[in-house]
Amino acid sequence: MTAAQIFIQNLTDFLAAESAQTVVITDAAPLAGGASRDMWRIDATFDGTLNKLVVRRDLPTVMVESALTRADEFALMSAADGAGVNVARPRYLCADPSVLGGAFFVMDYVDGVAIGRKVVHMPELADARAALPAHMALQLARIHAIDPTPFAFLPRPSIGSTPAYDAIQQTRATLDALAVQNPIFEFCLRWAEQHAPPPNALTFCHGDFRIGNLIIDARGLAAVADWEFAHVGDPDEELGYLCMRDWRFGVGRLRLGGIAHREPFLQAYESTSGRVVSRASVDFWEFLGNVRWGVICLSQADRHLSGRDPSVELASLGRRSVEMGYEALRMIEAMGV
Amino acid sequence: MNDRPNLSDLIDAARGHLESQVIPAIKGDAKLYFQTLVAINVLKIAEREIALRPTHVRTEWARINALDATEDALPFAFNDAEHALAAKITAMCSKIRAGAYDDESRRRALFGHLTQTARESLEISNPKLLQTLDEENG
Repeated sequence: MTAAQIFIQNLTDFLAAESAQTVVITDAAPLAGGASRDMWRIDATFDGTLNKLVVRRDLPTVMVESALTRADEFALMSAADGAGVNVARPRYLCADPSVLGGAFFVMDYVDGVAIGRKVVHMPELADARAALPAHMALQLARIHAIDPTPFAFLPRPSIGSTPAYDAIQQTRATLDALAVQNPIFEFCLRWAEQHAPPPNALTFCHGDFRIGNLIIDARGLAAVADWEFAHVGDPDEELGYLCMRDWRFGVGRLRLGGIAHREPFLQAYESTSGRVVSRASVDFWEFLGNVRWGVICLSQADRHLSGRDPSVELASLGRRSVEMGYEALRMIEAMGV
Repeated sequence: MNDRPNLSDLIDAARGHLESQVIPAIKGDAKLYFQTLVAINVLKIAEREIALRPTHVRTEWARINALDATEDALPFAFNDAEHALAAKITAMCSKIRAGAYDDESRRRALFGHLTQTARESLEISNPKLLQTLDEENG
């Protein structure tokens, strides 16, 4: 049997055992995934009824760096589903790597567009873009209301610290580990240290909530994807993060992900969450998001430079870093040098 | 020797090959197509760096001298100049982290220097973005 046939056979057996039904996989096609795991779209009949599913699998050869495990992600998505968040409903989890070569879970397929550039530009999605600010506000309010207590595995600020201070220290540690001397980011981190706003009460955070990780259909937000960076943190971190220029996909003047102005979204979030949001705090987190993403770009380039993961794409990310650095400086200028 | 084609010509030839010969042949392979576009862009960055970097090394060096009230001479050979600048930047990074530029006038001067440094870097890596941002500012 070929690798593909073994994949289909083992997945069929797994689904049949989990569902106690007769399962036939009628179609399987790869979906665009991340660098460390892959996704498959699966059509399968369960006792004759067609189900459209997605398999999210760890790649056998790649060490995942600091993201959550598939089992953790499955648990979080189940909790989010229960809390009224739009997610692809998680169905089955398999932590045994011998079945498909890496831990995986199976979830419902959600039809829609996730690619940021398309979400921001496609004429067919104009109505969706008009509806998205309210949808995003509602979804984030529900995510921030999820009780993180059952999820001991979630990263959280160290005792006696704050999310901002931890982020600053971690970013400095990354620069030091890379042996990168970057005065722009050093200045930004020093400024951040001296201008961090008072922390909010800690909440559950999705960790990567932005255009590009949201599945959009003609009516608006169909599902929130990519839960692997979930953590306990400051909810304003997420409000600022999704406004970062790089997640506006070329429509820079629309601060909310290239689709809308920020203020109506923040007001919708305030009325849904019942929490008053400091605009200055959201500004700060957008700024710090740029600094962190700019330093991550340097880490990605290091994967290439160290020879671990030779790739022209990773190499080029290193030279994108200054885009975030310059944006962070522009934001400091707006907030007050 | 005055070899021809020169360094810029060679990079330009490789980029032209990718654009005119490789790209049309791989449109059916989305991943390879995207990665090749990235490779073309990397070569464009390299061409701009060859053209602009010698000037940027001198201007950055002069700004750091002004910032720190020094009059250090930039080494004449290009590689030596790059090394000397890198050493200056390393020292500056430690000083920033230690708070040596916290004082308001020092901080503002440093901010101006770093903004110009970022702009010079973008002139090489993404001049289109720089232009867009400047237009946005009006």
